[in-house]
Amino acid sequence: MPLEQVTSSVSSSSRGALTQERTPARRARRQSLQRRRGLIAWAFMLPFLAVSAFVVLGPSLSSFYYSLTDWTGLGAAHFIGLANFQQLLADADFHKAILFNLFWMAWFLTIPMALGLFGAFLLSQIKRFQMFFRAAYFVPYIIASVVNAAIWEQILDPQQGLAFELDKIGIHWLDKVFFFGDQHLALPSVAFVDSWHFWGFLLIFFLAAMQSVDKDLYEAARVDGANRWRQFWHVTLPGILPVFGILVLLVTVWSLITFEYPYIITQGGPAGATQILTVLLYQDAFANNEAGYAAAMGITISIIAIAITLVYQYLQRRGVEI
Amino acid sequence: MYLPVSRRRFLAQSGQFALGASAAGSILAACGGSQSSGGSGKPSGTVKMWIGQDDAKRRQYIKTHDIDAFNKTHPDITMDVSFKPIDGIDRLIQVALPAGNGPDLVPTPGPSYALQYITANLLLDIDKYAQQYNWKSKFFPWALDAGRVNGKLYSLPTSYETMLIYYNSTLFQQKGWKPPTNRSEFEALAEECMGQGIVPFMAGSADWRPATEWFVTVFFNNYAGPEAVYQALTGKLPWTDPVFVDAITLMNNYFQKGWFGGGVKQYFTNKFDPQDAAFAQGKAAMDMEGTWAFSNWPSFFGPPHSNTDYNWMPVPPLRDGLPNPIYPLGIGGTISISASSKVADAAAEYLDWYYSTPKRMTQEMADMDFEALPIYVKASDFPSNINPRLRDHYLSINDATSKGVFGYTTWTFWPPKSDVWTYQGMDKVLTGNITPAQYCAQLDSIFKKELQQGVVPPIPKGSI
Repeated sequence: MPLEQVTSSVSSSSRGALTQERTPARRARRQSLQRRRGLIAWAFMLPFLAVSAFVVLGPSLSSFYYSLTDWTGLGAAHFIGLANFQQLLADADFHKAILFNLFWMAWFLTIPMALGLFGAFLLSQIKRFQMFFRAAYFVPYIIASVVNAAIWEQILDPQQGLAFELDKIGIHWLDKVFFFGDQHLALPSVAFVDSWHFWGFLLIFFLAAMQSVDKDLYEAARVDGANRWRQFWHVTLPGILPVFGILVLLVTVWSLITFEYPYIITQGGPAGATQILTVLLYQDAFANNEAGYAAAMGITISIIAIAITLVYQYLQRRGVEI
Repeated sequence: MYLPVSRRRFLAQSGQFALGASAAGSILAACGGSQSSGGSGKPSGTVKMWIGQDDAKRRQYIKTHDIDAFNKTHPDITMDVSFKPIDGIDRLIQVALPAGNGPDLVPTPGPSYALQYITANLLLDIDKYAQQYNWKSKFFPWALDAGRVNGKLYSLPTSYETMLIYYNSTLFQQKGWKPPTNRSEFEALAEECMGQGIVPFMAGSADWRPATEWFVTVFFNNYAGPEAVYQALTGKLPWTDPVFVDAITLMNNYFQKGWFGGGVKQYFTNKFDPQDAAFAQGKAAMDMEGTWAFSNWPSFFGPPHSNTDYNWMPVPPLRDGLPNPIYPLGIGGTISISASSKVADAAAEYLDWYYSTPKRMTQEMADMDFEALPIYVKASDFPSNINPRLRDHYLSINDATSKGVFGYTTWTFWPPKSDVWTYQGMDKVLTGNITPAQYCAQLDSIFKKELQQGVVPPIPKGSI
């Protein structure tokens, strides 16, 4: 690859020059400078670290402590060891919630990711109005989730939404479809609403990554007779793989901690059909007054998220391109 | 989900008792100092109150009639009110109170919620004030007793309510229907409605998932009966008793027939406002809901909204041998004095003033549709501009309860986890995920644990 050769030759010559400069005095001065830069960097970072320790580490540690107690949210907490975690293992609602989150994860790793990828690829092909489309697709992401949810609740409401309007013109496909009231449809319906809000975010990331792919590579591929699909598969995808990997990781972790749309639209219902982990946690903490148990659930979710992140990092270190 | 009190109920309650369903003082203000009576005799100081109220008009009304009016006549005491969002005030209290930053007067959505603060020693035993101000002579006995834990008084009820049936009286008149007085008439009317393409009962839980417990309350009280419910709530009868299983089975049957909201899926989809509108338009004939709904109807019935009118009736007994009417009693909110309050005497003085002015309360009912306080009132205490249906409703409850005939609402007399199960579990029955017997078995299991933990609220005994 010509670019790689150039980069390689530059770095080789740099190394040679530096080797010649490494006299003891220069090295000492350089080390001192590095130390000072390091100290300055730490000085700038410390306030943020302190705030993070205050708002993240403190509550995390207290959550861990409370997860080992029978705390109700008020009054004294009594140490009960791992009883909460044992209870989690036998909790059918918790198991069901994990399955819902896995569904959520599978949904978001496929549909919004595919939409974002495909939309970004199409947008990367146009010059005129690209900014308009980028803004249009991104707008749902910056609208408050309560507003997004209300819009879709209205649209999918059988009494006054799309079904009602279709009914007026003699189309009755949606007459008996209760998107948020049918326990079999509720979770995918809520996921759909969240996807609509989220896919523009993915699109922008993918588009930015695609725009950084070397144009010469496309030119070379075209010269070799590659069509659009082959360009996408052999040039675009490998070019955006690092961004793709990061987004897969983020979407996976976010799928575990998602809360707002299931809470706003269905409040975990009907009959627990959208009761994902965080909604269950919220209910246990605030409705059932089982703050200790809820803390154990939160710790468990965090452990799963950390495990996923560690696997990702492990794969990266092993050279897997994600 | 999982908010302890319905927005609908709260809207109606949070006014009455200016402390209303909630009471005063901001978190920041709580950091400031207050004065106490210091044992000098006359109470004094600044009493912090938080009130859960979103409506600006109601806020102003409360401030004028329940706060300023008191401050003017009690120069030594200053009521410092702070309004909070209805949906968030309970969380604020839960966080602020244990941290010592809560208000002096602590509002909760009901006795079972007050209990969590009582067991954490965050509320004051107010028996001495009850004796000092002779509150026994002002409150209904059942209502005052509902605030007792282990014989000590910790909270006062800020409203009371029941479940009833509202009906579109214009539609009833047009169709020649009569309010049902027993189960067979009730079922015949529902069948008749269905036959004419009218939903018998408007209903929906999309806006408020716990709405299902309203119906559980009705079927437990009006099918199993208040005595059976009392026995179960005091641990003498298991919830697995066939009478409860049959009650739940009957409710499920009615829902499966589409009598409530048009069907189970619709029920989970229906929202309050469109349902209220459908009720006023005669697309639904009745609404089984609580007292709080009185405040909704002026927005839907009568010009300019519709040319229809409404009325109410008690829910008929659904099994032979039960009294009629049965009013399941609910307390929509309580008020207590914080254990850490330095102005407890002044706070109690305000409470006494608040509960000693029945005409002010009835005027508030007339002006703002607030629910009533559970204090003795006569027909003559009501102003001329009161909604006569609301007045008659309360007088009817008072009459029945004075004879010891009353039932129990789940949100007032069930302990917290059992209460949550009443609606979450019932939703699972409605969707066919569990059977009525499984529902009752689970309720029994949860309830027994809570009974053992001592978190079942005090249960007043009727004389049925």
